[in-house]
Amino acid sequence: MSIPAYITASGNYLPGQPIGNEEMESYLGAVNGKESRLRKKILKSNGIVSRHYAMDREQRSTHQNSELAANAIVDCLRKSTIDKSKVDMLAVATTQGDLPLPGMASVVQAVLQLPPCEILTTHGVCSSSMMALKSATNAVRLGDKRNAIVCASELSSRLLKKSRYEALDNQEFDFEAEFLRWMLSDGAGAMLIQDTPRQRGLSLRVDWIEILSFASSYDLCMSCGTTNQRAWTVKDGREARSSSQSSEPQNGKYSTAALATMPKVASPAKYLDEAVSWQDYDTYAEAERAGALLIRQNLNILQEIVKVGVDGFLRLINAGRIDPDQIDHFVCHYSSHYFRTEILKLSQMLGCYIPEEKWFTNLYTKGNTGAAALFIALDELISSNKLVPGQVVFCVVPESGRFCTAYAKLTVVEG
Amino acid sequence: MSTAEKMLTPTSDVQALLRDLTLAWFDFERRLSRIPIIERLERGEFTIEHYQMLLRNLRPQVVEGARWITRAASSFTADFAELRSKVIGHAYDEHRDYKLLEHDYVKVGGNLDDIVSAQRNIGTEALAAYLMQQASLPNPINLLGAMFIIEGLGQKMAERWALRIQSALSINEESTSFLSYHGKNDESHIDKMMSIFTNEPAAVERHAEIVKTARVVARLYALQLEEIDNV
Repeated sequence: MSIPAYITASGNYLPGQPIGNEEMESYLGAVNGKESRLRKKILKSNGIVSRHYAMDREQRSTHQNSELAANAIVDCLRKSTIDKSKVDMLAVATTQGDLPLPGMASVVQAVLQLPPCEILTTHGVCSSSMMALKSATNAVRLGDKRNAIVCASELSSRLLKKSRYEALDNQEFDFEAEFLRWMLSDGAGAMLIQDTPRQRGLSLRVDWIEILSFASSYDLCMSCGTTNQRAWTVKDGREARSSSQSSEPQNGKYSTAALATMPKVASPAKYLDEAVSWQDYDTYAEAERAGALLIRQNLNILQEIVKVGVDGFLRLINAGRIDPDQIDHFVCHYSSHYFRTEILKLSQMLGCYIPEEKWFTNLYTKGNTGAAALFIALDELISSNKLVPGQVVFCVVPESGRFCTAYAKLTVVEG
Repeated sequence: MSTAEKMLTPTSDVQALLRDLTLAWFDFERRLSRIPIIERLERGEFTIEHYQMLLRNLRPQVVEGARWITRAASSFTADFAELRSKVIGHAYDEHRDYKLLEHDYVKVGGNLDDIVSAQRNIGTEALAAYLMQQASLPNPINLLGAMFIIEGLGQKMAERWALRIQSALSINEESTSFLSYHGKNDESHIDKMMSIFTNEPAAVERHAEIVKTARVVARLYALQLEEIDNV
């Protein structure tokens, strides 16, 4: 029997003032002095009206990503009864830390001046936050730790500033590379996990967290570090999957027949014979000039994110983990208003519809802060007076990186 | 209660069936996207030869399709007269669809004799044999699962493929009449299935069989596309 784990406090940090749609290009900078022709179209589709950047109008960083994280943690601990000297574990999630190494949690621990403790860095895209939350929660549920701080932080504006685009040898318009410029922004959210609920006020019991990835079924959809997202799909693997075996492991194990058709390491062909990583260029400067350091979204397959999210949801319903009718608050990190409509349509047909009045989001005013978005939304929900003991909060974080969705069921508890 | 009202209030059992079928469908879609000829189409590296090849490989299955549907109709007893009427209607609507395929084939420069004499590929053999065998069993309600997949393909993918083929080959709808016709059905596929399941109590009773049939048909349909020209 595991020990229950509770979210007993939360915090957020959004750098600087909210920046409206008309101002955002003056922060990120107009590429080659020319106003973007895409900006308005993308903003109309995503519905975001303001966001925050840790960057000034000369594209100088105002913070490090680890500082955003540290500020959110300070905000969270301030609302808790725990002193930072008592933190047992620090789990930090981000899409891109300040340094390729060491892990971002090391830097955040140093910034916060936390005494020796266990750390964890999860790296991915949006769902990395839930990976950190799950590990931290499990550490508490096992009785391994009495408490854990979980933080998700993003500083994507550094990837989006004009100089990144001006550095390219080829200045032809590249929709795939510009799309996310008008989607992503900066911020951090943090939560404290403990083995007992807070004495005064409300806590959220973490009932379960499930993460389901479909990376083997799709090409890269959102990435940084390559100019060719398609090249990261194993060709032989595609043919292996064309055999009579199912493309997915049954009960977590591949059958011998499926294993036999997988590419062999010793064979002369590599798994990814056309893939080129930013690290394969002779110099990093060449990688940048080639466009390998831009953050890209593959728009041909982005719409699959809705099906992947619903697929996992249906599996959870079938497994009896969640009943759509029992959900009181639905916190879904959708990146764009467009997807909200798509999700509603599909779920309505399948009888797993969650009425719109139960949806909670702050995407439109806080921006799409990637991994941090769910925590920032949860923090606002917790402070909103909308929660009542006994209510169920259902969280979903779909990640387009290579199609991974994380789900969490939380229950509001008092004292 | 009118049919329209019934459609709007599916029972939770019907919804559970639709959810399982949707899961089977999602798995099918993911598998399709990894099949070489479909990948090619999605990438736009698709030539007239690829299109002709696709049409040649689809025709035998479409011809067989008309046969198993009519066989299924004859396997229903009077207890399922209403469903039988629907199946007969459906068979009547579609039993000459292979003509559209032949038309498209000739339109893009193919020789009529080549497509008419095209043999079933290895995957088509498996798909046709399975469907014919199931259609021969008494009251083959489980074939609603086959319908979910095959009709779903028509309504969810055909139009998309037709547009991709048109743009890759710079041809118009006249040369993609088979795919375009199947893609243009206005009635929502899932609404139609919901209505059938709601009006046919035996469907819910045979939930597991319907889902199993959908999964088998999805796998064999994909096999047919994987085994293009492997006759």
